[in-house]
Amino acid sequence: MKWLLDFLKGTWLKHPLHPILVHVPMAMWPGALIFDLLSRGNIGGNAMVRLSFYAILFGLVVALLAVPAGLVDWTGIKKEKPAWKIGLYHMVLNLLAAVLFAINLGLRVQDFRDARTVSAAPLTLSILGTALVIGSAYLGGRMTYEYGISIARMSREKWRKIAEAGGANVPEE
Amino acid sequence: MLKDFLEGKPLQHPIHPLLIHFPIGLFILSFILDLISLAFPSAPNLVRDAFYAMLLGIITAVIAAVPGLVDYTDIRSDHPAKRTATAHLTLNLIVVALYGINLGVRSSTLDELKTPIAPLVLSLIGIVLLSASSYLGGRLIYDEGIAVGRHKRRTPTPEDTLHFSTANTAREGDVLFVPVPGAERLGNEETLRAEINGQVMTIAKIDNRVFAIQEFCTHRFGPLSEGTFHGFDVQCPWHKSRFDVRTGKVTNGPAKVDLKTFRVETRDGKICVGVPCTTEKS
Repeated sequence: MKWLLDFLKGTWLKHPLHPILVHVPMAMWPGALIFDLLSRGNIGGNAMVRLSFYAILFGLVVALLAVPAGLVDWTGIKKEKPAWKIGLYHMVLNLLAAVLFAINLGLRVQDFRDARTVSAAPLTLSILGTALVIGSAYLGGRMTYEYGISIARMSREKWRKIAEAGGANVPEE
Repeated sequence: MLKDFLEGKPLQHPIHPLLIHFPIGLFILSFILDLISLAFPSAPNLVRDAFYAMLLGIITAVIAAVPGLVDYTDIRSDHPAKRTATAHLTLNLIVVALYGINLGVRSSTLDELKTPIAPLVLSLIGIVLLSASSYLGGRLIYDEGIAVGRHKRRTPTPEDTLHFSTANTAREGDVLFVPVPGAERLGNEETLRAEINGQVMTIAKIDNRVFAIQEFCTHRFGPLSEGTFHGFDVQCPWHKSRFDVRTGKVTNGPAKVDLKTFRVETRDGKICVGVPCTTEKS
């Protein structure tokens, strides 16, 4: 089990895994909305409808991979910390966004190869899903940049040596 | 003002790491569409789709470069991360140039059923370099703490570390008092990062008084010279440990060990910082 946890934490990579994987859904879903809007503006035609479909699909596949890695990072946060609650909201919003895009994809399967424009229902789902994923990604970014989640987790010993060399008081190992 | 905006201070989140999701995702999507076109040549238009994904990737990459450059200039020039950041920047420029060429090569083959070999190879090289560069970018955040907690800082962060020699300085018992000329010019809540006789320290002005404390937080050793001030407390930019700059005592966790502090005194009209004669640790 430990190897799996280490894999999901990104220890092997010396870089947390979840923030790497999330690039894909985070780019693909808003990207799909842009392709949808272009198709509605009669730009690109069926190419945009197809691109949108592929983008949503690619985003979903990688989002599924990002879930276990994110869960492992989240369980590493102490429950009384503010970041734990933000992580919970982040997770719920992500699940909602993923479900919306899964439904969205289902609505497109039939006609994405020929349609010249995206119809109203999937477009609405793209708008909602994109809004959710942007909100959620912002919370995820706050966990990193405001609360320091995963910061210096793997470089701690390196920084300890630098601090010791600079004459600093350091805690015992 | 523009710099603050590009650093993401109004958003309380750096801008560059938020924009780069798009080029990374779109370049990969473009490559996957290439591969699908090879596997299923009967599916029409994939080559054209890969072209559009790449075009949008280049556009978003160029947009992301602007706040990225600002983040780069923000890194202290003698920070160990500066070299990583230079490599990250150089690789990214190469990647975008390669994709520019790639796009040009493709533009005449949009109606093909399979992506031709030349642009395919360019895309493969692009993905490899992009992955390496993104990995370095991630390490800048997660290992080096670049841009972490930066949005909370109201004053500029130190541009480099000042080094002072202890030769010809007044000795008082076991303490050497070294003049620090920059300290006079500090504004409120501004900091210097200084190294005196092997001691790396943050020199800060609060409430018109100058204090000197060890540079490194005692939790995960974050840079206190880039921290924020709350009354006489300094807060680490990484995990919000707080210390009283007057005593070095922890006032809020996660840190548990107090900071080393240094005496600051005015001698002959100069602000001097007292460091131990020997660099033995207390």
